[in-house]
Amino acid sequence: MTLAELLVGTVLGLAVLAVLTSAVAVAGRMLIAAGARAEGEDTAQLAMEAFRFDVRRAGWDPAAAGHAALVDARADGLALAADLDGDGRIATDSEESVAWRCVTASRRLSRIVGLQSMPLADHAVGCAFRYLDRDGAAVAAPVAAADLPRVRAVELSLRLLPPGLSHPASRFLLAALRAAP
Amino acid sequence: MRRRRPRGGALVAALATLAFSAALGAALADLARTELRLGAERRLASRLLGALDACVADVAGALPAGWDFAALVTGPDGTPGTADDGALTAPADCTAIARAAPGGPAPDRVVVRVEARVGAARRHLDALVRRAPEPGAGGLLWLSAPPEAGAIGGTAAIDGGDSDAPLASLAAPGDPDALDAWIAGEGAHLDVSPATLAPVAGPAPPLDDLRSRVQAVPYAGTEALVASGAPAAVVAYVAGDLDVADARVGAGLLFVDGRLDVGGTLAFQGVIVATGGLHVASGAGLTLDGGLWLGVGSPALAIEGALVLRRSPGAVAAADALLPLPRRAVVAGTRDVG
Repeated sequence: MTLAELLVGTVLGLAVLAVLTSAVAVAGRMLIAAGARAEGEDTAQLAMEAFRFDVRRAGWDPAAAGHAALVDARADGLALAADLDGDGRIATDSEESVAWRCVTASRRLSRIVGLQSMPLADHAVGCAFRYLDRDGAAVAAPVAAADLPRVRAVELSLRLLPPGLSHPASRFLLAALRAAP
Repeated sequence: MRRRRPRGGALVAALATLAFSAALGAALADLARTELRLGAERRLASRLLGALDACVADVAGALPAGWDFAALVTGPDGTPGTADDGALTAPADCTAIARAAPGGPAPDRVVVRVEARVGAARRHLDALVRRAPEPGAGGLLWLSAPPEAGAIGGTAAIDGGDSDAPLASLAAPGDPDALDAWIAGEGAHLDVSPATLAPVAGPAPPLDDLRSRVQAVPYAGTEALVASGAPAAVVAYVAGDLDVADARVGAGLLFVDGRLDVGGTLAFQGVIVATGGLHVASGAGLTLDGGLWLGVGSPALAIEGALVLRRSPGAVAAADALLPLPRRAVVAGTRDVG
């Protein structure tokens, strides 16, 4: 083997190795991005599903004690009530009292069950609640206590941008309050 | 000179790359499979929730209008503690069972446990069902059967009221599309105000039970319809057909146990019930602020003159205060059970 052959072989080998390394690196980055994307989408979806079930049961009042579904309604959060055990009372330290909060400072969406805060999603670059009346018209937030019975549907829009993603995972859900005013 | 033996470095590198690529591919495949499975589960959950909501709406809509739910809880045999307690008619792939709600007896309400099935999956939901706040079935005109085409040869004006709490023009058993088609088919003969809601499908008015209740309280007869002035709101019962040949006014609840035939003019505030239907003769007029509930006649509705039917919550409430009126069942809340 001559020196020239050795050099050519070395160069070719290095080139092939570089291509392979690049391909593997790209694939690795894709895997990481896909994982982050999947996690972001799943987190957003899970938050929406939890929100949907909270809204669906809000105002559950089998004992006809007169509990309102929506207790507090702001652009960055809301509070819902449901008499799940049918005892005629809303236990504020239990799942009968649920609040949702968008904390912009920490970019976090939290679900507060009773007295316990449960972070649902971090890296929230967009998080807002909107309120609609029977005709689908927006009710300005924060909603005054006297206007809370007017609210017939609640919308949550959420955008998550976990590290490593260039585009956020976006979801929005409009859920009707089932309880009759 | 001694030759060095090849060490197979390229093969090692190729194998390592292959192994790493395979691991990456496997991880990607696993991620994709997990997401596909999650997506399928979410689709199934959404379908189940939709099936539950549809089932609850169908079951509640099919419940008879009335005053309480005692008959639902005890079942068709009317005896509590038997196998048919709470059994309700439900659409396919759905079951519904009513039980008494916790707490005090008033207002009357039941909890309906609904099970919906999609394939092998099933999901349960509790729905709180109670009577609607306002008497009737949600329509100004409440019929026991869908109206016949061409029922309005004269003119009819139906005004569902203000935009805050409008009523439907018509409530009757049957396909809502058919009711829409009837409204459209009457053409210029029927004027429905923009504030009025579209027709709704609902149960037939419980005229037999209402008759029993009317006959159980002190009631007036045709003298409740006076020629002029401001009539007092009363419960009036007329056995058999009623012909109004001149000008009359009245208020409260007028129960005609037969056919109401208006040949003159009748202005009424409250609820008029006619088990044998309504006929307004040519040149005659009926102006009603409240509700018009009709049984099955032949035909149930024949308007050759003029009918004006306007929403009046106050007049209906006054009639309801004289004698509690039937109401449709409505869903007042739900709770997903799992």
